[in-house]
Amino acid sequence: MVEIARNVDPDNHALYEGVPAADHRLERLRQLLVGVEISELSRVTHLLDEPEQLATAVGNVLPEATARASHAQLGEALAPAVERAAQRSIQKNPNTLTDILYPVFLPAIRKSIGEKIDQTFQSLNESLRHIFTWHGLKWRFEAWRTGTSFSAVVLKHSLIYRVEHVFLISRASGLLIAHVTSQDATSEDPQLISSMLSAIQDFVRDSFNEKENSGLDTIRFGELRLWSEVGQFATLVAVIRGNPPEELHEVIRDVLLRIHQESSRALERFDGDSSQLPGVETQLQTCVELQHMDSKEGFPWLVVTAALLVLTVAGGWFFLSWQAGQRWQTYLSRLATQPGIVVSEQKIRGGQFYIAGLRDPLAVDPQSLLSGTEVDPARVHSNWQFYQSLEPVFVLKRLTASLAPPDSVRLSVANGRIVAEGEATTTWINRARAAAQQLSAGGPVFDISGVRDVSAEERWQAYVSRLETQPGIVVADQNVRDGQFYITGLRDPLAADPQSLLAETQVDPSRVHASWQFYQSLEPQFVMKRLTASLTPPDSVRLSVVDDRIVAAGEATTAWIIRARVAAQQLSAGGPVFDISGVRDVSPEERWQAYVSRLETQPGIIVAQQNVRDGQFYITGLRDPLAADPQSLLSGTEVDPARVHASWQFYQSLEPVFVLKRLTASLYPPDTVRLSIVNGRIVAEGEAPDTWIDRARAAARQLSAGGPEFDISKVRDVSPDARAAEHWQYYVSRLEAQPGIIVAQQTERGGHFYISGLRDPLAADPQALLSGTGVDPARVHSQWQFYQSLDPKFVVKRLTASLSPPKTIRLSIIQGRIVVVGEASAGWISRAQAAAEQLSADGVVLDVSQLRELNLAELNQLREAIQTTDIFFSSGRVVPGPEQTPVLDRLADQLKEFAENARKAGVTARFMLTGHSDTTGRETANASISAARAETVRALLNKRGVAPELLLVRGAGTFEPAVPENSQTGSSTNRRVSITVNLE
Amino acid sequence: MLQKKICMLGGFAVGKTSLVRRFVQSIFSENYLTTVGVKIDKKSVAFPDKTVDLILWDLAGEDDIGSFRVSYVRGATGLVLVVDGTRPATLGVALTLRERCEAEFGAMPFILLFNKSDLTDRWAISDGEIDELKQRGWQVYLTSALSGEHVEEAFRQLASMVAK
Repeated sequence: MVEIARNVDPDNHALYEGVPAADHRLERLRQLLVGVEISELSRVTHLLDEPEQLATAVGNVLPEATARASHAQLGEALAPAVERAAQRSIQKNPNTLTDILYPVFLPAIRKSIGEKIDQTFQSLNESLRHIFTWHGLKWRFEAWRTGTSFSAVVLKHSLIYRVEHVFLISRASGLLIAHVTSQDATSEDPQLISSMLSAIQDFVRDSFNEKENSGLDTIRFGELRLWSEVGQFATLVAVIRGNPPEELHEVIRDVLLRIHQESSRALERFDGDSSQLPGVETQLQTCVELQHMDSKEGFPWLVVTAALLVLTVAGGWFFLSWQAGQRWQTYLSRLATQPGIVVSEQKIRGGQFYIAGLRDPLAVDPQSLLSGTEVDPARVHSNWQFYQSLEPVFVLKRLTASLAPPDSVRLSVANGRIVAEGEATTTWINRARAAAQQLSAGGPVFDISGVRDVSAEERWQAYVSRLETQPGIVVADQNVRDGQFYITGLRDPLAADPQSLLAETQVDPSRVHASWQFYQSLEPQFVMKRLTASLTPPDSVRLSVVDDRIVAAGEATTAWIIRARVAAQQLSAGGPVFDISGVRDVSPEERWQAYVSRLETQPGIIVAQQNVRDGQFYITGLRDPLAADPQSLLSGTEVDPARVHASWQFYQSLEPVFVLKRLTASLYPPDTVRLSIVNGRIVAEGEAPDTWIDRARAAARQLSAGGPEFDISKVRDVSPDARAAEHWQYYVSRLEAQPGIIVAQQTERGGHFYISGLRDPLAADPQALLSGTGVDPARVHSQWQFYQSLDPKFVVKRLTASLSPPKTIRLSIIQGRIVVVGEASAGWISRAQAAAEQLSADGVVLDVSQLRELNLAELNQLREAIQTTDIFFSSGRVVPGPEQTPVLDRLADQLKEFAENARKAGVTARFMLTGHSDTTGRETANASISAARAETVRALLNKRGVAPELLLVRGAGTFEPAVPENSQTGSSTNRRVSITVNLE
Repeated sequence: MLQKKICMLGGFAVGKTSLVRRFVQSIFSENYLTTVGVKIDKKSVAFPDKTVDLILWDLAGEDDIGSFRVSYVRGATGLVLVVDGTRPATLGVALTLRERCEAEFGAMPFILLFNKSDLTDRWAISDGEIDELKQRGWQVYLTSALSGEHVEEAFRQLASMVAK
């Protein structure tokens, strides 16, 4: 027993030290009593001692043990180890954990970025929207005032919202955990809403196979938005009215996170009993309190406005007075820079400006300087004393005024000195020198050393040398004495006047003493002038200077030649040669004879006798008063009229020219008559009234004795009536030439014209033909009967109108016969033949033998195809079934082709659509159904391009069945629309 | 506030919707059934010590079990199985639906309603069959949407079952 005890507890070992150990009986007993336990104990001891085995054993029970451990204690115990493990893992290889967490983080990150972008866009949108509005300006000010960004202010004002409801919903069951609402918001049963919300979330997730954990993020309905945040166990849904900022998501998420942190277990175990989760509502309440209303009375606008107003006024006043002061200073500085102005005193008092000082009369007017400075002249009070400024500029001005320097002198200011340069007379230089001396006391230096003394002498010499170059002037002597100029010489009276030449120089005429002797210059042009003046050569003589010789050429009387010769002799002593060899001597007798022969060639002048006696010329003869005047012919002949004694008798010349003149003067022929001389005969041509013709005839008779013949046979007798009758006849003949107009009768009575006859309606209008004939329409009385002309041209016109031949037919007139050529339908040919028969009775030939009938075989084939087509209908239906569409398409094409071909052939095709019905139902209903079917088919064909005017419709009801009907259900063959083709 | 999510299951046209129409609070139109596939109603059942709000998920009836949105049943604590008493096949549908739910979310209390009990002449379920189901310990009721027979009772029963 001791052994057992010892083995069981080591402490007992010591206690029972005295007990012998190696007692085999005891050992045996021990084996018997606790052998099993000992072996079990050794196995366990072994298990505990061997780490591998222990690990295996603990590993077997660890999951179970962990599951059974108190969560809180286990969590606390494990937390440091797990943290360290995670830390180590990240240090070793961050990718491992990243890979693990990637699916968890990615959606969260993605969502967060999405929200951030939305937030940015929202801010941008709002900023843009408000940037140019009044609000925008206001908010810009606010941003400046509060030191925040403009977009933040915009968002603050434009995002007006209110969170009206917040639901916390269990994710597992969709049951409502908690619900809070803002003060005045209402809603239906929140329990139902929350369940429905989660149902919709499920629906969306299922419908779009969305695996993500998030669910519906945002639902928007008008002004209302539902924002949901999905947590681990619960979803928080906020119902927001208005325009919430994106940041609100974060707020809501924070609330949800906090709830999860505080009541994680309760949320997980939520089974519909909300009493397990007290305090959640208070959390939610924070969400509901979220709202932003645009404050209407935040900023004291009125006060600010008033303050601004006062500031503006005060500022404005200060600015204006400061500005006025500035301007005044500008003006003063301008004055100060002006030469000749000295400001002695200036001040500003009560907005008025006072200024006093000195000014040179030559200086700028201070008042005029005011303009441009914007200083109000009315507020400027100035007091200026005049003084003479010694500034060089002013001195210069005064010198200029007092000295009056000649143009050749230039005054200028150089380095404070006044410098005169140029040329001047001695007197001016003396005056300038005196002025310079006066100035020396205090004034600027007046330097006249640069002025060259140009005395009158120089100019005098210039004058003299000019005189010496003048032709006809010879300067004999000249000198200057005591400022006086003396000159003597010769001048030709024809030469330039020395005095007038003096005026062009600057030489004082009063100081010039000239003594000119006249002489005759022997220069050729002067000599010629003198000769012309003294000899007065006749028109027939021309004088000229050739190689310093004076040459006379032409014809002159002996007397003039003698005088010229004397002059030539006089000139020979020293003067130029006067050559008169070119002047032919013409005697008075010769010139007289020339005059007489000239007279004799004059028509209407007959020289009877002429002779020359004692240098006197005598002439007698006849002259017609209409002939040229002999006296006037005398001039230019060099015959002295005083020596001519003429005796002229007037007579009437019978020369045709004079007779013509006299006739023209006495008969006054009208404009329509022209008189002319033809082979010595006077011929009158044109038209004249009979009275004139009578007078002309009398004149012709008078002339017959000795005078030229006066032929008036070519003058037509034209009295107005005769002319009118003539015009009328012309008109009538014109009418008679017109085809389709037959003049039966026409007369002229009392200036009026009467005409009657027949006219074809297709002929020209007789009234229209009047124009251009000169007949007065008012005097024409016409009476026309219409008739049909048988003139082939008219017949063709009528035929064209009545038969309306197709394009393939041509009508032409060949040798008075009307020939019809071409192809036409049989109907048209028969109509043409009938017309030909009718016309033959009137004697008009209409040749239709060359007409050929159109080949209608193709057309007939088409017609057959169309007429065998039927459109079928279901019972009681007026619209054909879709199976009829191809039939309708083909039919439409055939109808169009047929209509086109018929048109080409000159006939019109029309298609009759006849609707039919079967015999079931009442007859009236059947009739209307059949008509409606035809109408429908017409509409369907029209839709396919068949012209509606070519389609006629009728309803035949049951009266025209395609097949006889027996059955009760009616015949589908009879429910149809049939087509017939008519040609017109 | 004690609420429980209850799903109403049954074949096509067994009368689930009409059955609850007169006895529940509802704010959603029946269009939801066809659009979202579920319509939610509330039935409050008062007991002396508490009131249980049954949040009834009326799932669109489909005879085609394949199109059944089982996800709607998640979080439910009880089922209402509805059978058309005039069409025996609908019993099979209801039981199959229940099996699917239990397979997905584990066993949960349910009541079995044989509806259209007013149509006695077309009644097609024998009393024996019903007795046999009751033998299994199931809560079986013969209900009529027309008369309201046993409807209140059935919901009360279910409420007491889920609120335990």
